[in-house]
This record gives sequence, C-alpha cells and structure tokens, in this order.
Amino acid sequence: MRFSKILAGTTAVLVGVFFFFAIVGVFGLRLAIAGLAVFVLGAVVVCVAFPTQGSES
Amino acid sequence: MKLDPSIIARIQFAFTVSFHIIFPTMSIGLASFLAVIEALWLKTKKPVYLEIYKFWLSIFAMGFGIGVVTGIVLSFEFGLGFARFAQLAGPAIGPLIALEVLTAFFLEAGFLGIMLFGLHRVGPKLHFFATCMVAIGTVLSASWILSANSWMQTPAGVAIHDGHLTVVSWRHVLVNPSWLYRLPHMLTAAYLTASFMVAGIGAWYLLKGKHQHFARRTVSLGTAFGTVLIAGQVFIGDILYGTMLKHQPSKMQAAEGFWEKQSQSPAPYYLFIVPDQNNQRNRFQLGIPYLGSLWLTHSLDGRVEGLKNTPVQDQPSMGWVFYGFRTMYVIAIAMFALASASLWLRWRGKLFSTRWFLIALAWMTPSGIFATLGGWYTAEIGRQPYVIYGLLRTADAVSPVPAGTLLSSLIAFIVIYSIFFTAFLVFVIRAIRRGPTEMVEFVPSGSLKRALRPKIIASALGPEPISQ
Repeated sequence: MRFSKILAGTTAVLVGVFFFFAIVGVFGLRLAIAGLAVFVLGAVVVCVAFPTQGSES
Repeated sequence: MKLDPSIIARIQFAFTVSFHIIFPTMSIGLASFLAVIEALWLKTKKPVYLEIYKFWLSIFAMGFGIGVVTGIVLSFEFGLGFARFAQLAGPAIGPLIALEVLTAFFLEAGFLGIMLFGLHRVGPKLHFFATCMVAIGTVLSASWILSANSWMQTPAGVAIHDGHLTVVSWRHVLVNPSWLYRLPHMLTAAYLTASFMVAGIGAWYLLKGKHQHFARRTVSLGTAFGTVLIAGQVFIGDILYGTMLKHQPSKMQAAEGFWEKQSQSPAPYYLFIVPDQNNQRNRFQLGIPYLGSLWLTHSLDGRVEGLKNTPVQDQPSMGWVFYGFRTMYVIAIAMFALASASLWLRWRGKLFSTRWFLIALAWMTPSGIFATLGGWYTAEIGRQPYVIYGLLRTADAVSPVPAGTLLSSLIAFIVIYSIFFTAFLVFVIRAIRRGPTEMVEFVPSGSLKRALRPKIIASALGPEPISQ
C-alpha cells in the first residue's frame, strides 16, 4: 500500500514535470503547443467528467 | 547628505506603481470571474452562485476604487517626477492614456453603478450585461496601459528630430513588438490572481469547517480556472521570454544571474545569488546543475549569455531583476504543481478533504499578487538605465525639481497609501471572517463611525433574488 502510494506520487510528479518542461519549450515549439493542448484538454475533461463531491447544490 | 533627485523620483514611482498594480490585477481578474459566476447563476438559478457573486462583488468594489484612485496619481507623477519623459514621450503616450479614459473608464463608469447597486433594481439580464461591460472595460484599460508600457519597452513607430518625438506610425506605436505577448501575459496573470484568491479563501473556509457549500464551489471553480490558466501562462511567458531576449537582451541576462559573456557548460539554473555589480561577479551563487542549459538553451550542455555582453553603463541592476524574475517563476511553478495536484485529487474525489492541499491552497491566496509584482520589477528594472528603451535614459527624464520636494511628496504618498492599504485589509479580512452567508448592507448614515461598522443583515440572501 505504502509502495503503491509512493509510486503513484512519483509518477504524478514526473508527469507534471514533463508537462511543465514541454510547455516551456524545452522540447521545441511544436511539442510546447502539443503539451499545452493536451494539458488544457485533459484539465477540462477531468473537471467536467469528475464533478467534485458536494459541489452541486 | 546630498539626495539624488533621480533616485528619489524612481523610488517614488516604484512605490506608487507597486501599490497601484495590486488593485487592477485583482479587479481585472475578479470582474471576469464575477461575469462567469453571474452567467452560471442566470443559467442554473442555483443560489450558491449568487452567494459567491455577492461576496466577491464587495471585495471587487473596494479594490476597484483604490485601483482607480491610485492609477490617476501615476499620470500626475509623470509631471511631478518625470517631466522630461512626459515632454518627449507625450506625443506617443498621451493619446494612449487619453484613449484609456475615453473607452475603458467611460465604459466602467457607466456600468459600475448598475453592477454594484443594481442587483435588486434592474432585471437580471441587464445586470449581467453591466457586469460584462465592466469586465470588458478592465480588459480595455489593461490593453491601452500595456500598449503604452510596452512601447516604453520596445519603442516603435516614432522618429526624433531636434529632440522632439513625432509619431510616424500609430499602428506600430500601438502594436509594438512586445505588446502582443505582454498583454495576454498580464491578463492571464490577473485571471490567475483571481482564481487562486477565490480558491484560497474557499480552502480556508473548508479548513475551518465553515460555509462548506460556498467553499466547495469556489475551490472547485478556482482550481479549474487556475489549472487551465497556469498552463497557458507558462506557455505565453516562454514566448515573451524569447521576445524580450531579442529586444532587450540585458534584461534576460540579468534575470538569469550570469556575468560572463558565456556561462560554463553545462550551465546551472541559479536559485540564489549575491551579485556584486561593481566587480561584475557573484559573491555567492547556488543553482541546480544542468537545469540552466536545459531550460534556457534546450540542450544539456548549452551556454547562457551573461550580463558582461552589455556595456556596464547600459546594464540594469542584476539583483532586482534576478529576484523579481525568480519570485514570478517560482510562484508559477508552485501554481502549476498545485493545479496539477488539484486535477489528481479531483479525479480521486478528494479535492475538499485533502488537508495538505487545502493548506497549500490557502497559503497561495495572495500568490498572484506577489508573482505580478515580481514580473513588473523584472520588466521595469530590467529596462533600466532607460525609461524608453534605447531612446531616453532615466537620469535624463527626471523633472528639474529639488530632491527635497520629491522626498516630501514620497513621504506623503507612503502615509496616505498606508492608510488606504490598512483600510483595504481591514475591510477584506472582516468580509472574509464574516463569510458569505451574512451580507453587509451599507446604509448611508452620515456618520463615519457608523460607516465603519456596517449594518449586517443575516438573511440578506432572501428568496427574492434567488427566485429570479
């Protein structure tokens, strides 16, 4: 349980760092635009598809 | 001790503009946030949106008022402290500021009253229209001011003959090389400021176990907006970095903390430096190996240009620019991390119950303001020693007035602005402590004592507005 939590946390951090590096253009402008599009679309999908508990009135 | 008028004039303008920028940043962001919230209320008819609207409207109104008043002061300061700048740049800057008044201020002035006091006096759609007009007004205002300020960063469309500046192309003055990137950067900063402010206050309520319904909705909305915005901001910031590297290399050289014409390879990314401007070196530096090359040159062994590429007499102060930029950048990274965490927690259904996240979010409440200040210090101090980059040096732009006059007005500004800021903080802290369920109704009493103790109507969110 503990190991899986650490693994999940590490993976999440690595994915976040990859997206950040991609968006700031470390891998070039095309990947920056692609990274931005994927991140924003992903964020919109998560926010729409997973309504937060108790947020609806 | 002999005081230097140019230093006092700069300190005075830095103080007043630093104070001013806090309020437009908040009001630009909150105006659009309020428009979105009112649209959601009109669409869903859920009372929680009206509750959110009313709560943030009062804070927006206070910030908006202080922002307008302190903004007007800046125009007068052009004459007070920088008359030679006003004399030279007037033909280009003057019309832009006049256009701000004619378009943005008139629009805001026309609709602000309806927005603030018309909720129960006009129809809901007209009220929503007024909110949208105020939000558009704030964007227009930012556009004109950013156009003027960007022209000072990257002047274009003008010619100077016999010490007089003439505009040869208004299009180039308006759409100067940095405006197209600086405007979205500033607007996104304002929207991010509002998002984290709204989410942070909501997180604080959740931690205190108060106003749960309101808090959950604001945390949800704030983190959702913040997540999308921070990704866009990081992207726009990188494009702006490239633009400024092209037009003002000395600013970006100072922002990275390197002195030598070419840094070592691989270059570290400095987190902390103690610069020695006189000897053109760092007394101490601490950085992350390889990260400078990776971030700044997009390779593992690239070299970064240092400030010695710029002649000493044209160099900005490295310490201010470096730490201004680092403040902005570190906050942006923290926002990105927190926004990404919010997506994960939302997916897991733990957005409102993860204590460490809520604590972090509450601490991030004013983060947008600090990031904006850091960004502005980078932009303005990084442009030095010029007030109009490449055209007019700051030392040549100062008014021919004694240092004592400037110092006395600076002291007056500090005293008056301290009162403003204290009043604003007292008002905001009271509003937050009081919470959204109790609305304050201001009853004109003619008494200052009573005005500072507004009448509280506990059942302010009555059925009338909700049922509209």
